[in-house]
Amino acid sequence: MIYQSYLNIALRAATAAGEILRTRSDDVMRQTAKPNLSARDIVTEIDKLAEEKIIRIIRDTDADVPILAEEHFDKSWKLKKIDSLDRLWVVDALDGTVNYINHIPFYAVSIAYIERGKPAVGVVFNPALSELYYGARGVGVFRGSDPIKVRDAGPEHSLFACAFSGGKYDDKRSVEFDVFRTINDTSMGVLRTGSASVNLALLASGSLGGVWGRNNKIWDVAAGLLIAELAGAEVKINYSLEKPELVSYTASVPASSNFILEKTSVLMK
Amino acid sequence: MKKTILVYGAGAIGRGYLPWVFSPDEFDFMFVDRNPDLVESLRRRGSYTTFRTKDGKYEKQQVPVAGAFLLGEEKSILQKTNALCLAVGPRNVVDVAHQLSGVSLPIIAFENDSSVPEIVSSITGNKRVYFGIPDVITSNTAPEQLLRHDPLSIVTEDGTCFVDNRAGDIGGQANYIDVNELNKQWIAKLYIHNTPHCVTAYLGALMGKKYVHEAMAVEGAARIVRGTMEEMVRLVTEHFGVELTFARWYADKELSRFANHLLFDPVSRVAREPFRKLAPAERLIGAANLALSRGILPKHLSAGIMAAFFYNEGRDADAHIRHLIGALSPNHFLEIILKLPPSTALHNLLLEEWGANSNRLASLS
Repeated sequence: MIYQSYLNIALRAATAAGEILRTRSDDVMRQTAKPNLSARDIVTEIDKLAEEKIIRIIRDTDADVPILAEEHFDKSWKLKKIDSLDRLWVVDALDGTVNYINHIPFYAVSIAYIERGKPAVGVVFNPALSELYYGARGVGVFRGSDPIKVRDAGPEHSLFACAFSGGKYDDKRSVEFDVFRTINDTSMGVLRTGSASVNLALLASGSLGGVWGRNNKIWDVAAGLLIAELAGAEVKINYSLEKPELVSYTASVPASSNFILEKTSVLMK
Repeated sequence: MKKTILVYGAGAIGRGYLPWVFSPDEFDFMFVDRNPDLVESLRRRGSYTTFRTKDGKYEKQQVPVAGAFLLGEEKSILQKTNALCLAVGPRNVVDVAHQLSGVSLPIIAFENDSSVPEIVSSITGNKRVYFGIPDVITSNTAPEQLLRHDPLSIVTEDGTCFVDNRAGDIGGQANYIDVNELNKQWIAKLYIHNTPHCVTAYLGALMGKKYVHEAMAVEGAARIVRGTMEEMVRLVTEHFGVELTFARWYADKELSRFANHLLFDPVSRVAREPFRKLAPAERLIGAANLALSRGILPKHLSAGIMAAFFYNEGRDADAHIRHLIGALSPNHFLEIILKLPPSTALHNLLLEEWGANSNRLASLS
């Protein structure tokens, strides 16, 4: 179980960062507002503190591996292709910032360890609900103490979730809403929880039949995609050709896979 | 004419103990198990030996095997049996119950969980599902000298089997009692047997012992077990109103059983699946919480609970416990993994005693 040690690092880092998010949730205030970004990209001081905690814990044990983290993402990353790197940690200390600011308990710490573009270890920790999802190849996938797996059901018996693209809205925005409506009206419904990693964790633990996202940040979804895959979901990932930090993906239970792939194909091009 | 019993779970209780309750002179035994090697061995050998410890010696019984099946293969013979027994372990009960939908035969659930009859009944639609309490310790193996003669040998004790008296028409040597008396026996088994028994096993695992009686031979461990036993005697008398004389007799009986060097009860069997045993309503956390609610400080039990955190058996279904206890802070392990909120008395007790219990356990290994 060669990934167990990386999983232990990710568990330690995610829970320590989650503790910061939880204990500081009453201190939330808007610290910075970056120009030309949507409201959902408001960054808080707490997010940065939590991220620094994660980086310190990873560096204590794994000094040399690159860490792709939201608050430390810069232009140098645009020169690297994620799938060309031998090893990489991908970190988001707070996925679901708007939920966090508004005291809605759907946000999470997301940490993944990736080798040659393929996630091998993933941890998603929701500190508001004390829900810890984690998994590694060759180890298994769990929520808390329990192994988890998807609940396989067709679309008419399934609830879905999606994460819309953030940042500057492009001409596919209306298409995203069309796809949302189509799937919503031909299934048990579609949620927008506000956290891509929480969506994927809910899929892995049997609450959802499928999840998709367009141009989401890799640090939001890498861990959750692995957890969903290990729990039995069929996962498809498309990396953006222009921006290495963006991915579009579908993850669904087998019985709903064709349905999701077909309905979301227009978004994944 | 003999009756036929179909036993789900050809392990410690199913194979080892039940033939002493339902004599092979009166009953034909058939088994269902998930282990293909075991099923094949039972078929091929056609019989096996079960031993019972009594007065410091082994009594022997040869058990003919009328049939052995993998789970799912047995459906065609179900209606040819007179009764079913379940001894598969609480985590496997639901899977087995789904195989029994529509079956109207009486079922006795010899499981370490009193909710099993209700669960099985609701899945199968069968109202005739009863609880049975084997008041014995049964190993799932035997000492080397017995295994050499029969690799399917198994060792149990001379004990009493309590069964709901509504199943009385099945017969055999069980002690069929009413539900109130059955409930008293279950309370005693759950708290005065199950709780200290698994504490002994986790202490044994920490010390690298293979068998439960080896753990009891170490005075530091035995002291924790005896202390836990005292806490549980107080619990069953003060909370459940069980008579003190009965509780003390039961406790003394259990302590001598744990130390029985003839049983060869593996630590790995008693300690298996620590997360199941650490579940909120179960024998460790549940017992500790109940004790605290009565003003009983479960100090010795807290050391046993901590020993469970460090259970380190790589092949166990809950092997990930050892990684979680290493990766998470104590506070996070208690809150996130065991679902013990920080505001609770037990969470606080375990944290307060963490250092002292660590030292106490370290001194054993």
